Amino acid sequence: MIVTRKKLSRRTILRGLGAAISLPFLDAMTPAFAASTLPGGKPVRAAWFYVPNGIDMRHWTPGDEGPLGTLPSILAPLQPVKDDLLVLSNLTANWGRPLLVGAGDHGRALAAYMTGMQVYRTAGADLRLGVSADQVAASAVGHLTKLPSLEIGLEETRQGGNCDNGYSCAYAYNMAWRTESQPLPPISDPRQLFERLFGTDVAEPPAAHARRLAMRASILDQVGGDTKKLESNLGVSDRRKLDEYLTSVREIEQQVQRSEQDGVIIDPAMEKPYGVPPEFPDYFRLMTDIMIAAFKTDSTRVATLMIGREGSTRAYPEIGISDGHHPLTHHMGNMTMLDKVSQINSLHLKLFAEFLTKLKATKEGDSNLLDQSMIVYGSGLSDGNVHTHDQLPTILAGRGGNNFISPGRHIIYQRETPVCNLFATMSERMGVTPEHLGDSTGRLQGLSLS
Amino acid sequence: MQFEGKQPLGVVYMTSMDRPDAVLALALLYGLQAKRESRIGSVCLNGPGASLGAAIFCDLVQRFYTPGPMRNANQTLLPGLALDGPLPPDSAMITAAVSQTAYARSIKRLSDTSLPEAVIRNGVIFNSEAVMILSAPATYLAKSLDLQGVRELYKDRVKRLVVVDSGTPQDAPAIRKVLAEFPSPIFFCGKDVGDALPYPGSSIDKDFTWAPQHPIVDAIKAYKPGPYDPPSYDMAGSLCAVHPDQGFFQLSEPGSITVADNGRLSFVPGPTGKVRSLIVDPTQKDKILKAYTELASAKPAVPQQRVRPPQKAVDTPKPPTAPAKPD
Repeated sequence: MIVTRKKLSRRTILRGLGAAISLPFLDAMTPAFAASTLPGGKPVRAAWFYVPNGIDMRHWTPGDEGPLGTLPSILAPLQPVKDDLLVLSNLTANWGRPLLVGAGDHGRALAAYMTGMQVYRTAGADLRLGVSADQVAASAVGHLTKLPSLEIGLEETRQGGNCDNGYSCAYAYNMAWRTESQPLPPISDPRQLFERLFGTDVAEPPAAHARRLAMRASILDQVGGDTKKLESNLGVSDRRKLDEYLTSVREIEQQVQRSEQDGVIIDPAMEKPYGVPPEFPDYFRLMTDIMIAAFKTDSTRVATLMIGREGSTRAYPEIGISDGHHPLTHHMGNMTMLDKVSQINSLHLKLFAEFLTKLKATKEGDSNLLDQSMIVYGSGLSDGNVHTHDQLPTILAGRGGNNFISPGRHIIYQRETPVCNLFATMSERMGVTPEHLGDSTGRLQGLSLS
Repeated sequence: MQFEGKQPLGVVYMTSMDRPDAVLALALLYGLQAKRESRIGSVCLNGPGASLGAAIFCDLVQRFYTPGPMRNANQTLLPGLALDGPLPPDSAMITAAVSQTAYARSIKRLSDTSLPEAVIRNGVIFNSEAVMILSAPATYLAKSLDLQGVRELYKDRVKRLVVVDSGTPQDAPAIRKVLAEFPSPIFFCGKDVGDALPYPGSSIDKDFTWAPQHPIVDAIKAYKPGPYDPPSYDMAGSLCAVHPDQGFFQLSEPGSITVADNGRLSFVPGPTGKVRSLIVDPTQKDKILKAYTELASAKPAVPQQRVRPPQKAVDTPKPPTAPAKPD
């Protein structure tokens, strides 16, 4: 056989003024006749979804260890993808506990969860924590992609002030910590996130940028020349894939534009950046679509998404809940309040299930994005009413590439097993072997059956 | 700060729970807790008797001595249990207590127990000052030393480690590592100490009658027909760990513990050593046995009621009465 086709670089980017669009995996990126393998091995992605205020654990934990059957009611939205995830029980974030410092569980929960480190109590600038799990993973693969990591939030961010019993808001509003004192604030503005992914360091002149936004023109127009040039070198299959991908980028962009047009503030109590979709589910979908695009184009391999800042008081009028999330979790046994917490938990899981389904539907060579990923969904609190930091609700979705994970099961670990054991295992899979990740005691056993 | 006053000394107890002295040591530690002289930070089980039933036993003893609603894991750690091999069967001593359904328990299955090295570390984290009693193989204490920040933690908070020799072979590499690297003072409670101070078996029928059913009594009676006077290895170690300065024991000059390849321990005096060995003073024997029986048979402390201080009466104007709704 004669190999005639020239290999397209995985790093090919469509460039234009103020735009740089990475490409999804195309057949032309593999050597001819080897379309089933990715050059350099398929990249593995890792993402952390954080849900605040704990979970109604009555309806979370599957009864038995082993293969997942009918899922409890909060997890029920995940039923169609149950064979693509693990439910991990009994993990602990020890440093979230009061220990010897007393109140401030919400102030510590997220920070202790992501780092496994003691959270230094301060409301000032002298923050002290540790490197978060996502950044440990990013230290291994961040240099290989356009963005070392992507930080997304679904609430406004605050970086200072006292949020909980002397703990800085920085601890409750940031998942990612690059160093022990440097958080990486999440992006909550869809436009900003979109442009972080598809923009360039060479900025479009401000006037031109403003004109493009005002004209509601597409970023795809900026890369039209490169696109045509590339298309002429692609086969039929790849041209179709490219067209589908650029269409999806355009759809995301249109969603962002619609949000900017329609982003009226319907709840005056809730701060929202300009351009946030008024309905929470739409907001979640838009931001996770951008995350998928980032993974699909290998623009980053590490992402965090904060569904709400720890202690979030968001109301969910979309499902008829006008009370704040955090106050509801302090239900003191009031079943009406507890049921509302369940409904909020279910809504989050429904949206997470949609995200997983989209990942699974996104092909990458002979695999799909979900199989190439490790997606954690969890919280640093289990019972939000009494602020327990053990028996944490934890899902690990995906197979981590090359069947590193054998999903479809419920695994119950010994109590006090640090959640950082999971994160250390994920980091190792990403290519960094930390001796310790926070308070980890080792690697989490049993993720694979082989 | 939330906590005012000095916190009781935390105790981390590492045991195989395979002998009567271990059962009685647990009771003694709860006796010290009742007197607020110490509190159990965590219990970790490994070695010959470390079965699921032994973990259940430690848990139900904890529930027995701290009646009331189960406190959550922010305050109380469930026992650690080594799961690195086939678990031993429950001994008759353990079965006698755990088979009694009258005792409340939180552990039903293996995953209800805690990860050993984490629970050792966390038992120290939960307390501003702690002591450790090592009667089980040192496997997990050694592992805990390799966790991030633990050496500094132990150095700051662990006042002393008491290594108890009951004649059961140690995990030689692990105990060597602990002896070489543990950052706090180490005391050695040799087998001779426990042998010289047998617990008066008559106390079992006499001093525990305040409870119609008592898990410690159930276990001791099931070990062998009594009354019998078991050696008090872990009790001596526990008493010394919490009260080294109350004259119960004399301390040797510095020395070191040598570890034979078969895991047998012996104390060797020497000026360069950092270990002190316990010496039984015959004149103190009665005092020690009295402490043993009083502490081991002590009733649980009555839970402190959280009572709000009386509020000063304030004359506040009454809100205006809402007008009655028209019919």
